[in-house]
Amino acid sequence: MCNKQPWMNCRVAGWCAALMMLALPLAAETVAPPADEPAPVLDEEVQDLKAQVLNLNHELFLLEEELLFPANTQVAVFLSMDIGEYFDLDSVQLKLDGKKVSNYLYTKREVSALHRGGVHQLFLGNVKTGEHELVAVFTGLGPQGRQYRRGASLNFKKDIGAKFVELQITDREIKQQPEFFVREWE
Amino acid sequence: MRSPWGDRRARAAAILAAALLLVAAPGWAGKPERLVVQDPHYGEVLFHFYQKDDFTALTHLMAAQAQSRVSNHELDAELLLGGLNLEYGQHREAGRIFNRLLAQVDDPAIRDRAWFYLGKVRYQRAHFAEAEDALRQVGGKLPRSLAAEYPLLMSQSLMGQGRYDDAAAVLDGWKGPADWTAFARFNLGVAQVRSEDLQAGARALNRVGKMSAPTPELKSLRDKANLALGYAWLQVNDPEAAREALERVRVLGPFSNKALLGVGWADALQAEYRRALVPWLELRDRDLLDSAVQESLLAVPFAYGSLDAHGSAVDAYLAALGAFDAEIFRLDIAIDRARSGELVPALLDADDPEIARWYWQLNAVPSSEDARYLYHLVADHRFQDGLRNYRDLLALYNHLDDWKEKLGAYQDMLDTRAQAYAERMPSVEAHLADVNLEAMHARRDDMVTRLDQIEATRDIAGLADATERQQWELLTELEQSPAWSHPGAAEARDKQRVLKGLLQWKLDREFRRRLWQQRREIASLDAALAEADRRAADVYAAREEIPVELDAYRERIAALRPRLESVQGGVMVALGGQEAALQLFAVRELEAQKERMATYRIQARFALATIYDRASGTVADRGSADQ
Repeated sequence: MCNKQPWMNCRVAGWCAALMMLALPLAAETVAPPADEPAPVLDEEVQDLKAQVLNLNHELFLLEEELLFPANTQVAVFLSMDIGEYFDLDSVQLKLDGKKVSNYLYTKREVSALHRGGVHQLFLGNVKTGEHELVAVFTGLGPQGRQYRRGASLNFKKDIGAKFVELQITDREIKQQPEFFVREWE
Repeated sequence: MRSPWGDRRARAAAILAAALLLVAAPGWAGKPERLVVQDPHYGEVLFHFYQKDDFTALTHLMAAQAQSRVSNHELDAELLLGGLNLEYGQHREAGRIFNRLLAQVDDPAIRDRAWFYLGKVRYQRAHFAEAEDALRQVGGKLPRSLAAEYPLLMSQSLMGQGRYDDAAAVLDGWKGPADWTAFARFNLGVAQVRSEDLQAGARALNRVGKMSAPTPELKSLRDKANLALGYAWLQVNDPEAAREALERVRVLGPFSNKALLGVGWADALQAEYRRALVPWLELRDRDLLDSAVQESLLAVPFAYGSLDAHGSAVDAYLAALGAFDAEIFRLDIAIDRARSGELVPALLDADDPEIARWYWQLNAVPSSEDARYLYHLVADHRFQDGLRNYRDLLALYNHLDDWKEKLGAYQDMLDTRAQAYAERMPSVEAHLADVNLEAMHARRDDMVTRLDQIEATRDIAGLADATERQQWELLTELEQSPAWSHPGAAEARDKQRVLKGLLQWKLDREFRRRLWQQRREIASLDAALAEADRRAADVYAAREEIPVELDAYRERIAALRPRLESVQGGVMVALGGQEAALQLFAVRELEAQKERMATYRIQARFALATIYDRASGTVADRGSADQ
């Protein structure tokens, strides 16, 4: 058996090497092979599989929309936010021709996505051609953290093509108040 | 020849770190960049993209492109499609998209972003030099989020080529988010230590080891840096520097066991065995699954031995042997259970599938006898990533299952529509047969002709109403009566003449108004007839088109069904493979634990035997001396 010091050095060296290797744990699946090695077959297979699922999913998605919401009756309502510093959105209730069609509660992550420019499709449905009324009620916290509840409405005419309506929450700098608009998306 | 970067594991470590950083990307928002959305469906894709729901974002973007609903963001949409493919692990498709953009687009801003993403694709494929080439093609200003990521990617690509000085120079000039810089510096430090440039490595690790760490992730990284630095100093026999770094590791953090072991080694290297016993004895009572604790079971008797406390050393070795034996027994049982195949599904029993991929991490394990082994397994990033992939595949499988169910429902819906069509058609046909639109048009034309004649001849009686017409006819008929010219009828003739005159005057006075009214009635009739024509055309068209449309939908469903089955079968196979790999990983890890324990047991026995030999040799020497 080696004497004390070399034995200890031996242990320390082993631990150092091991720790340097484990300084960052490895993730087999996220690690790409070096440039001079071919990509693993499994990775290629999973990529192919995911590509197949994506293509299939996209076709199924189109089929579903065309079947359930054909363009001649389709109406979609989107919610967007422009700045939105004076309003912390909680929920939006939507009524179409007096009938409640959506009551959506927003998560923090969704609100953050709206702040960054994302647009939420709040409602997708069918209406007949002709005149309709859309009423949206926004609930949340207004300036100084007070409970805030405001409504906005729009009368619109549904023609043969799909109709897209935008609910927009924006800031009115002069009054330091939020503003809510409902309009047809142009 | 080995690359200066070292082996593949080291490169992989760097890649993982970058992956972690990129995961953290949403946190580097500052004030978020905003884009003016012109197409609602593009904004809708961004809504999912910003929530890291890449699969939904990709699907919706592909659908929106197919429906020409993102025409105002055509190039942005293409870049986003490439970026989403990249995030979703579709490197080949992402590379194809960015190369296509570079070949087709002259706009410098778009080209810069395409080069950036292409660099990222190449980097993720570990094509480091090519990644650097692509990144160097970025000539102008990138959007802020990409500009923040650029130096990180560049430094990682340089590290991948072993060009640590260049990487350090990039990081030194980088004003990126603190957590990103810290991760990159840590990677750099570890790489430099591994390439035996300890001074440079220590500089990088020291900066991370002394940083303020407001988040749990950064605290953990700081501990890792101090641990790596401490052991690096131990390796070059500088126990004081090692102790300084190791003492910065948090006592209650996940790396405290290894730090305590290292502090003990630092003391032992200075022959301070009594002092070394303090951290090692503290370690001895902790969970034996930790390799540092296992090591302490041998280190403690080693210290006793060095202090010539051989009795205590023997006791400590015997206690270690008992602990190793008990643990090996428990590990055997755990290995059997892991082999049974229940491990992976049990881990995901309480999973919330709503959590997006990048946010997901298994934080709790099922309460079972194996829980303490599972905690060690799930703490391993390899296992976590494997589990994340398994979860991805499971989500795809369930997603496809949902589609199968939906397709069944849509098929039923189409059948119902076809049945309703077949049932309604006879009554519609009968109704269409009853309504003779041509006759209506002919009557309308006849009316217009008559009105034109009335107007042309100023036939005022032609516009009289039924009563007036009756009166007019009566008054006119009187003139034809045989008694009309009778002298006794003079008074009657006068009356007739007055009345006829009055009626004529009334009809003449109202002629224009009545003519205008009739024209207006005809215009209204024309509108009603046009509406009837349109509706009839719709009905005729629907009669022809509905069966064709229903057949087309049925054909699409019929074509999608086998593809759905086939892809789901493929996912099932991959799922099985992933589950088997995870199971194998778990079994191997547990076996490695057992093997390590067995090795420690041999070492303990050997050391014990040596002490006994020495003791018996001493006794024998004494005996022979006595004799």
